[in-house]
Amino acid sequence: MDTYKNCDGIHRRDFIRIGGLTALGLGLGDFFLMQRAFADNNTITAKAKSCILIWLDGGPSHLETFDPKPDAPQEVRGPLRTIATNVTGIHISECLEQTAKIMDKFAIIRSMTSPLGEHNLGTQYLMTGYKPTPALEYPAFGATVAYIRSQISQKSNGDALSALPPHIAVPNFTGELSGNGYLPSATRPFSVSKDPKSRDFKVRDLDFYEGIDLTRLSRRKQFVNALNEFSNAKDADSSTTDPELERAYNLITSPEAKSAFSLSEEPHDVRQRYGQGGVNGIGHACLLARRLVERGVPFITVNHAGWDTHQDIFTLKERYPTDQNAHLPSLDRALSALIQDLADRRLLDETLVVVMGEFGRTPKINPQGGRDHWPNVFSVMLAGGGVQGGQIIGSSDALGEFPKERPITPSDLAASIYTLLGIDPSLELHTSDGRPVRIAPDEAKVVSELLA
Amino acid sequence: MKAIQIIIIATLLYLCGYLVQNESFADEYLTHKSETDTYDLVDFENDLIPIFTKFGCNAGACHGSAAGRGEFKLSLFGGNPSADYTAIVRQLAGRRVNLIHPEQSLVILKPTAQTSHGGGQVLSEDEEAAQLLRKWIQQGALYQSLRQLEHIEISPRKQIVSNLQQPIELHATAIYSDNTSKDVTRWTVFTPEDISAIEIDVSTATAKLNRPGRHIILARYLTEVVPIELIAPINDDNNTNNQKKKEKTHSTSSADTIIDVEIQKLLSILRLPISGSIDDVSFLRRVTLDLTGRIPTTDAVKAFNKNSNTQKREILVDELLESDEFNEYWTLQFAKLLRIGANERNTQGASVYHNWLSNQIRDGVGYDDIARSVILASGDSHEIGPANFYRTVNGPREQAEFMSELFMGVRLRCANCHNHPLDRWTQDDYHGLTAIFAKIEDDQVVKVNPNAEVIHPATREKAVPRIPGDKFLSIDVTDGRDDLVEWLTNPHNPFFAKAIVNRLWKAMMGRGLVEPVDDFRSTNPATHPELLTALTDDFVKHRYDLKQTLRRIALSDVYARSSHALPENKSDDRFYSHALKKTLSPEVLADAISDVIGIPDSYGNEPLGTRAVSLFNPNTESDALDILGRCSRETSCENSDEAIDGLQRKLHLFNGDLLNARIGVQNSRLNKLISDNVTPKKIVTEFYISALSRYPTDSDIAFWQQHIDFNASANSQRTILEDMVWSLLTCNEFVTNH
Repeated sequence: MDTYKNCDGIHRRDFIRIGGLTALGLGLGDFFLMQRAFADNNTITAKAKSCILIWLDGGPSHLETFDPKPDAPQEVRGPLRTIATNVTGIHISECLEQTAKIMDKFAIIRSMTSPLGEHNLGTQYLMTGYKPTPALEYPAFGATVAYIRSQISQKSNGDALSALPPHIAVPNFTGELSGNGYLPSATRPFSVSKDPKSRDFKVRDLDFYEGIDLTRLSRRKQFVNALNEFSNAKDADSSTTDPELERAYNLITSPEAKSAFSLSEEPHDVRQRYGQGGVNGIGHACLLARRLVERGVPFITVNHAGWDTHQDIFTLKERYPTDQNAHLPSLDRALSALIQDLADRRLLDETLVVVMGEFGRTPKINPQGGRDHWPNVFSVMLAGGGVQGGQIIGSSDALGEFPKERPITPSDLAASIYTLLGIDPSLELHTSDGRPVRIAPDEAKVVSELLA
Repeated sequence: MKAIQIIIIATLLYLCGYLVQNESFADEYLTHKSETDTYDLVDFENDLIPIFTKFGCNAGACHGSAAGRGEFKLSLFGGNPSADYTAIVRQLAGRRVNLIHPEQSLVILKPTAQTSHGGGQVLSEDEEAAQLLRKWIQQGALYQSLRQLEHIEISPRKQIVSNLQQPIELHATAIYSDNTSKDVTRWTVFTPEDISAIEIDVSTATAKLNRPGRHIILARYLTEVVPIELIAPINDDNNTNNQKKKEKTHSTSSADTIIDVEIQKLLSILRLPISGSIDDVSFLRRVTLDLTGRIPTTDAVKAFNKNSNTQKREILVDELLESDEFNEYWTLQFAKLLRIGANERNTQGASVYHNWLSNQIRDGVGYDDIARSVILASGDSHEIGPANFYRTVNGPREQAEFMSELFMGVRLRCANCHNHPLDRWTQDDYHGLTAIFAKIEDDQVVKVNPNAEVIHPATREKAVPRIPGDKFLSIDVTDGRDDLVEWLTNPHNPFFAKAIVNRLWKAMMGRGLVEPVDDFRSTNPATHPELLTALTDDFVKHRYDLKQTLRRIALSDVYARSSHALPENKSDDRFYSHALKKTLSPEVLADAISDVIGIPDSYGNEPLGTRAVSLFNPNTESDALDILGRCSRETSCENSDEAIDGLQRKLHLFNGDLLNARIGVQNSRLNKLISDNVTPKKIVTEFYISALSRYPTDSDIAFWQQHIDFNASANSQRTILEDMVWSLLTCNEFVTNH
């Protein structure tokens, strides 16, 4: 699992159990039979077909990344310097050197604000757009996107989705939420499990077992479906097919889909550009994300642990004098390579890239030389997929403590991400017991400046 | 400024008490003084706090949050009125109340959105609540509490609703210590537990059901929270007729009247028809899995099928309850409850603890004695098993939470920071119980440290040891555990026996009568309260004998109900009109797979042949458990929704070792049958019996005949027979207890 553990906090399960206001009463039966308000005129013209969420788990410091405060006193400014970008007037952390050169492709929101300064709660809020409640677990963006896409493809009848899972986590999804929330478990992120930077990277169980060929595999699936059908014949409450079995079968039997995971197909220099080695490297995860986007996977979460910097903020830059794979340089290399690569392949316009974590860090450096949790103001970076690049949206105050202009909530961000992906944030989905829930909360407002 | 206010307040106090008739004093300050006789005084605790609750001001999402909101903090749901008074009248240099111009008070301007308010407009200016606030300030913003709330009476508490369209009037009456009462419906907050099922019209205090079923509304007034139960029939009267639909049921001679009567009572109200009863071999499979965590052997299936003894189900249940397999499986069930092995570094302790537990189960020790042993344990945890009870979680707070969830089925967690908003638990309970455990040192040698203490965050003083919800112990008590155990295992304890009986019910029936099983509270009533009480009384009467209760459930008609839903009862997931399908736990499924295949799996360094259910260490190396899911026991294993990714699991079934590496190898069941020249048809039958515990039906045979050449030698059909076995081990009928 994660190499890093965040500081103590509430476990997901603990949170869900508090109060325990689970929906009592009788369920209305099969989710798929539920009437749902799926607007036929859902025709927001969007550019983004896919989204890569680069999740900086633990909460990245806004002051060391996208919102440096060079004029603040030393205890706020921190040990890192600031550099100019290729957009006049925009400055970012010195560690994001390559990113600075393509700042015209990025939009930075510097006035994100949330009241939730605990990992689990903050992660749920940022990843779902909803403040967590004990009554209902909300789906992460990727699950909603996967769900909507599957509905659309069902409607358009035929237009088969890729055999690849629609929601993939590299290497693993955050442990703070299940991912699918109230949506069917098929929308839960598929974890590739292994870190793509490992030399022998391979997703387990994709290749035929020795002695089993396609004929036998198909036969086995056919048998299971038949058995399920027999045992369900007498039962008024069962679905006859096993959707997970179908999905597994489709993936195994599609060499095209499986080749997405073969990073060895990438030329050496490409792998170098993204950044290869090191304990903290994120490059290969981003490279895998690009390969998945190329094959039409709608949502990929690249989960990068280790941003919970309560001690020595300087380690973000260099852990040892010679280690070039500390978090910031690694992020810089991977992010800039990813954006450039997507642009070169003409995929950038249809791929939304979002870089964020669950909150920012305290403006004042603590006695351990680190920064603690700070949700009051923090930054999010977006690129591609219909985002107007080269701009700063909102601002924080002089010490990076609170929003100065244009406060934007995680709900607003959610509505914006959905809009960029062509999903109307006011659409209603339904929980398994028929409760209607909007894709983004009522009060969420799309950040219109983001849209190109 | 402050001085002036104090003078004003003092003056007003004086006026209210003695000078009601005096017209001459500063009329501009007291425009409504004629109203200020004692009967018309606004009572801060009883009149104003409910307003803050009603309009959500003191909810967790607003000023009731631990840090308050906008620098203004109220206690959660008004749990601490005197602190709220200070916040309103004293803080912010007193700007929240303006005695000279009451309407200029922030406490009025903000919620009426006359100045900017983060929460928007909550009250309109002329509304009763705003008027009450204004009047209170006009009277001098006094801390008045004229009477003490004893409790509230809510009507209805439980109502059967025959017509969904019919609005249900809700009433709340406050009963005070001075025997007066008052209609407080207007100030009571009614919250449906499921907002999609119930609509509340706040202006008329009426509820309307959107759909049939059993639904709960919580009524909150001041610190009181009361559940209202509304039940609407699921089917139309003429649609179903239980008597007619009821198939002939197998009735054991000792059929349990309490269970069957209570379950049927609610089903009749809901007009839910029941599914039929299961046949003998299905009963055998169900009860063998529930009591021993195993699927029955082929011999057992064949013998039970042939057995013509009318008492054979009773005999079977008794045999299972006395079997080694029962002991092994229920040791696992309780090891999960006790979270043995939660601490990865303490495997030595886990092993001793597991052995000890296994002996308790084997010897049929009463559950009260088991609880007594673990709570009172001390000594070297590497030698004394139950001492590891204190080495399971970190620190006395977690210990208090763990103990209460385990032995009381309640969650004290909320009461760490504030009184529990939905329950009776206070911070005194939480920190009092913590104070008892604080004196237990949880090093390898568990012992009492009389000097250890914890600080109560509200008083900032030493927390006084306390039996939760019951009584304080002496502040000097060295070891409060004796009192705790005595209280807990008292036959009249309202939590202890109920919590375990509910868990046993869930193990057998698939759902607790109270769900979640560790969340008992008055606001989360049991689906069948009388049944839970009756079973609990019986359990206590039989000296906390686990087997006695399991036996009663196993032999009830309800337990032997079919899992096949009817169109009219398929939406039922809690009233037992049909049996709930239970997914086999990872350990049970892993063992079942090995049993059918005939080749054991390997678990870490344990000797070959070790069963998954017998592992004491939840982290024992095992691919099977990684794939099928496991509970590390770091947190409770109950209500676990940590279902592993279904796609990953299915990929592994197709391409991984779990099934493929063993199905047809030497010494496997299949290979032995083939070597013995058993015919393909007989092999199919054998695997139906071993995997599904039943004989194949004619249509099953017809299906396989299409794919397998029944006339050929089994050896020539090897690969297809392997595929047949694979599909039996993957199908829904195998992976559930149904």
